[in-house]
Amino acid sequence: MAGRKGLVINDGQMQLIDGVLNKLQRVTGSNFVALVTTSGQPITTAPPHADADTLSLAALAAGSFAATRQLAQVLKEREFSLLFHEGRESNLHVMQVTEQILLLITFGRETQVGRVRLYTGRAVEVLKPVFEAAENTSGDEQIVDRDYSREAGTAIDAWFPGESDG
Amino acid sequence: MALINLAAREINYKIVYYGCGLSGKTTNIQYIYRRVNPSARGRLVSIATEEERTLYFDFLPLSLGTVKGLRTRFHLYTVPGQSFYNASRKLVLQGVDGVVFVADSQVARLDENVDSYLNLWDNLMEHGEDPSNLGIVLQLNKRDLSSIFSVADLSDLLNHTESPVIEACALTGVGVFETLKTVCKQVIAKSSHL
Ligand SMILES: Nc1nc2c(ncn2[C@@H]2O[C@H](COP(=O)(O)OP(=O)(O)O)[C@@H](O)[C@H]2O)c(=O)[nH]1
Ligand SMILES: [Mg+2]
Repeated sequence: MAGRKGLVINDGQMQLIDGVLNKLQRVTGSNFVALVTTSGQPITTAPPHADADTLSLAALAAGSFAATRQLAQVLKEREFSLLFHEGRESNLHVMQVTEQILLLITFGRETQVGRVRLYTGRAVEVLKPVFEAAENTSGDEQIVDRDYSREAGTAIDAWFPGESDG
Repeated sequence: MALINLAAREINYKIVYYGCGLSGKTTNIQYIYRRVNPSARGRLVSIATEEERTLYFDFLPLSLGTVKGLRTRFHLYTVPGQSFYNASRKLVLQGVDGVVFVADSQVARLDENVDSYLNLWDNLMEHGEDPSNLGIVLQLNKRDLSSIFSVADLSDLLNHTESPVIEACALTGVGVFETLKTVCKQVIAKSSHL
């Protein structure tokens, strides 16, 4: 399980990651590729800003993957590193990149699964060291400072217009 | 801890509503969903069964807009309360920044509250969490009912971290926002003092 390791992704890493995702999307003819954390938070998608439901997708895929892991434990399987959902129109693959990162890819029925697996596997090889580096940084103290806290506090109070409690 | 995406100028925090079955966790989230400024909320996702309303979790993303140039989001999750769902509780706790422990104040629910509280700490310890990094709020729910424990008694049992305690009636919304605001502000304060 992921502990309280930080995950801070910088511009250079993000460019690299997006490059890998775009290429993966192209060569597999996939409709949608995304990286999410195993805790259910979205990182990036190809195409960018693909869908407003990316947040739900990330949470559900992470939940589904974790359930699969538990399933593996019950079956005394050391690990399932791949989750596959087959639909009428499209398929969804979920692959583990690192302890904290999952790769999601959707593709139509006309795409060969083997092809997707091959290229996804290669993409994971490239992405893995990038995320391992990002997982060991904790550069947030400069970002979340006193000004940020104050502004965020004001914004939190504005969530509930006209509420007297709090 | 928080997921910070510098390239996308984005911060995501994760808040988990914990507590025994039927203590009112889903009711909290539903009230927030109904009453929060609609532009701030995403879709409310629930994976539920017939018997209990929550199987894996409820999930509600709330956006704080852009704060100092960073798009800031809080992801609210609930966990299923029944003991046999511990696997899904553990997974929901992964990467958590703040916990709201929703206690059912009813006298008849004492054992369930204590079990759930101990289970929370077992699971946090298993994740290797340092509790001083977490935002924590104790919400004493169902204060509208008659056969309930006092605030002092429940705090003795369910608050060894001496976290803020908020009385609530999630059904009518009393204390719901206060709880959310308190935990969100705590979480931000914690992430700024690392
Ligand atoms: N009287 C009363 N009932 C409540 C309150 N909050 C929740 N409930 C009820 O308790 C039951 C369980 O609530 P739910 O949110 O599904 O519990 P969960 O298992 O923690 O998600 C529901 O019937 C709610 O209507 C409260 O503050 N007062
Ligand atoms: Mg529930």
